[in-house]
This record gives sequence, structure tokens and C-alpha cells, in this order.
Amino acid sequence: MPADSYAVAFPVGEISRPRRAEQGSGNQNPIRMRGSLAAQSNRIDDTSLIREAQQGNRAAFEVLVRHYDQSVLRLALHLTGSESDAQDVYQEAFLKAYKNLGSFRFECSFYTWIYRIVTNLCLDHLRKRNVRKEDAPVAVDASGEEYSRLEQFADVRSGANPERDLMRRELGRKIGTALSALTPRERMVFELKHYHGLKLRTVGEMLNTTEETAKNTLFRATQKLRASLAEMR
Amino acid sequence: MKCDWVRQNILFYVYNELEDDARYEIEQHLGRCAECATELKATRSFQAELSETPVAEPTPNLLAASRMRLQEALETTRQGGLWQRLILEPAIWLRQIHMVPALAAAIFMVGFGGGIGATYNWVANRPSIVANDANDNRSNPASPVEASAITGIRSVTQEPGSNQVNIKYDTVLTQEAQGSLNDQRIQQLLLFAARNNYNSGVRMDSVDVLTQAPGESNVREALLYVLQNDTNAGVRLKALDGLSGFVRQDNQVRDGVLRALIGDTNSGVRMQALRLVEPMKTDSNVRSVLTKLAQTDQNASIRSQARTMMAQMPEMD
Repeated sequence: MPADSYAVAFPVGEISRPRRAEQGSGNQNPIRMRGSLAAQSNRIDDTSLIREAQQGNRAAFEVLVRHYDQSVLRLALHLTGSESDAQDVYQEAFLKAYKNLGSFRFECSFYTWIYRIVTNLCLDHLRKRNVRKEDAPVAVDASGEEYSRLEQFADVRSGANPERDLMRRELGRKIGTALSALTPRERMVFELKHYHGLKLRTVGEMLNTTEETAKNTLFRATQKLRASLAEMR
Repeated sequence: MKCDWVRQNILFYVYNELEDDARYEIEQHLGRCAECATELKATRSFQAELSETPVAEPTPNLLAASRMRLQEALETTRQGGLWQRLILEPAIWLRQIHMVPALAAAIFMVGFGGGIGATYNWVANRPSIVANDANDNRSNPASPVEASAITGIRSVTQEPGSNQVNIKYDTVLTQEAQGSLNDQRIQQLLLFAARNNYNSGVRMDSVDVLTQAPGESNVREALLYVLQNDTNAGVRLKALDGLSGFVRQDNQVRDGVLRALIGDTNSGVRMQALRLVEPMKTDSNVRSVLTKLAQTDQNASIRSQARTMMAQMPEMD
């Protein structure tokens, strides 16, 4: 199954769906089209919402938040591996967006702008965590209890096959370890490209760099991951 | 060489990041080169492996909790300060104002205020010349005061036992003039005070001082003006006293007193006017006024007084 099938268009708010392995390559294009059309219409709505929010309308800002917060939270959750850290990133990102909304000048799309804020916060978080060298993919929920994020999908995806479930958990652990070995920037580019399906041009914009640099970073990240996973086999 | 290029780009081919022509080139090459086709397979299987563990969607509980926490924080958070907006996005604050009439009104007010300020400065510079004049006037008392620059008289005081009068008057700034009653400038100020001052006490003082020099025709004119127009009966009465010596010789004064006798609202002033014109009752004007008063005046005292005076009048041949 081509991995490209996971690179569906940028999910926006309620329209986004968890990507399923069942989505074969045959039906990826309609999904991409639906996603991008929905995203486009949402962005048109966004313009008026942004203007209202810039004039101090908090309700408009909250609607805007709901367009993006699910994907923001998912990114933060996957990158930080902790629900409480993800919540902190979410909170800080949107508060920062609210405070600085006046400086948004429609030079890029709003989701690029908000993701720029989120990725910066996540990069800070990854840099701090790299000092501690924590292992993914064990996550900590809001109550401080550890759980594996991969387990949440085990039943759905394996058809309650305990053996396959065990293998997947093992693979998940390896992937987590391999991902955490990347530099924060490599991790971020890989995350945005592979898991969030963003175009490298957009990734470059979000990270305040060029498409070419993002491309090189992605190449490097993939090489490292492949090597790490090969070693672990 | 071609294989190197393909291997470097195969990842972007898989991620759909290549232009159409590069994509086409790779596809052509993959059809011919088994090694590169193996590389493509390896890349895809690597990606498939990663996809075995997809990104977890945040649970609805986590999302709801995050939203709630954000909403609470937003209630106490303010958007960027005005200065920040002014610097970062002038168009936004202009949009925010979006009240062009209000802006126009504000600009008008600023302009109006500026105009007043400029006029004030212009006027304020003029009295400084007058003030210099005033200072000069102490040594050169004959030079006149520019009446148009006077905005009001603050006080008039006479030094006891002398004809020295001290007058505080306002131009734009309060100034002070001192001099003899015969001083033209002092007289001018007194006349101004008698006619124009808003303070009846000052008018009273001015009239009081003026009555000491009623020989001047312009002083009599001022006193007549006061008698006819001053709102304060005491001041009118004082003016009447000042004019008393001229009822006989000055027809204008006599007519003025008669006008006061007929039309003044204060009976005290009228009684005083009546007493003043009594010696003049041979004057036909005076006589006709007295006749009218004796017949129809509403004030009983004036009516009876006028009758008495008429009765005492010598028969005219």
C-alpha cells in the first residue's frame, strides 16, 4: 500500500478524519479534493472571521479556533507525546495568536500563520525534551497516567488480533525511538510532511525557511529513520 | 548518474512533491532500471511501515478540555495594545475606526482649537504693546489707552483726600494704571468701566469717581449712558447725582433726567430725577412730563409729588 495514501489534504477542523489504513490508493484523490475544497471554503470564511476577531470580536476568534484546533492538538500530541504538554502548547499557541492577531496581514493563509506559532512552540518543547532524551511513544494523560497512544488504535486496526497487536506495539515503540533520534527540525519537517500531508512549500513557510531547505531536511530525516529502523530489526 | 538523481528524488516522487516533467522522467527511468525500482519499493514499504502507527487523534475529552481552558483564558486576555497595532498594521486601526464622520469631526475640532490658539497668541502679543504703553504711560500719562484692548475693569479705588485714582483693568492680562483724575487715560478707563464693566461694584466706583469731574462733556455723556442703560439702580442713582449740577445748563442732561423720570424702573431713581427737574419746571418739556405724571403715573408718591409741583408752578403768561 503506498504511503502516499496518508498524505491527504490538510485536515481542517470538523472535516478532518482520522486517516485509516483502509483508505486505499484508489480513493485518495477524491478525499484530497474534498479536503482541499472544504479547506478553501473555510479559508474564505476565515477572512471575515479574522477581520472580526481583529476588531476584538472574541466569538469570531473562537469559531476560528474550532476550524484549526483539532489538527493543532493532534500535532502537539504527537510531537510532545503528552496530553498535558499538548494542552499547554494548544493553550499557548491560541493565546499568542489572539494577542497578536492585529499583526496578521493576510500575507499567508491563517493556517500557515497559526501553524507557524504552533511549530515554534513545539520546536521549543522538542529542544527541551532532547536534553532529557525521553522515549516515545508512551504518552502521559492529563491525570499523569502513562499509556501508549498506539494502543488506542489497536482494536480497531488489528481486528482484536492479539499477536498482530503486540507486533504493532513493538513497531510503534521502534518508530517512536527512531523519531525521537531526529533533530527537532528534522522531526518537525517529517511530522508536517508525512503525518500531516502538507506540501513542502507550506512547511518551508511555516518554519520560516525555503522549500529547498525543507526538502533537504525531509530527505535527511527519512534517511535517518530508515537507518534507525533497519538497525532495530 | 541518472540513478543517483532518481534515488535522491524518489522520496519526493512518493510524497508527490515533484513537477510533472521530473515525475515523468522518474517513471520512465523506473521502467528501465531494476535497481531504482527496488529503491522505490523500499521507500514505499518504509512509509507503509510508518503508517502502521498513525497519528492518534486527540480524544474528544482532551479537545473539549483544551477548548474550555482556552475560553477561560481568553476572558482575561486582551488583544495586542494599540501601539502595537499602530506600528504593525495601520490599515487595521483605520478599519477599526471606520467612523469617517467622527474622524472628520475630530480633525475639525483640532483645527478649530488650533485656530483659537493662534488667534490667542496673536491677540496676546498685542496687549504686550499696550502693557508697554501702560508702563510708559506712568511716565507719560497723556498717552491714551487702546480701549478695544480692554476686556474689563477689575477695580477702581480713589486715594482718600486726593484726586489720585487707581484702576485695575484687564486687557488679555490684568494690568494696572495709576494717575490723576484729570489724566486722559484714567478718564478713558473710567468711561470704559462705567459703560462696559460686568461688575456693578466697579461701575459704581467708576461713576462715583466720574461724578467728581462732570465738567467734561464725555463724562456727562457717560453718566447719561449709565443713567439710561445701567442695570443696577444704585449705579443709575449715582450717575443721576453726578449729573445733578448740569440739569439746568445742559439740555441733553435735562432730557436724560426726564427720560429717567418717565421710564426708569426704579422708583427711587425716578423720585431723585423728579427732585432734580423741579427747579426746571418752567421748561415746557419738564412741565409736560410733570403734567402727565400727575395724571397717570402708577406710582402714587410720584403722582402726588408731581401734582404738588404743578400746583406750585407759577402761572405762565
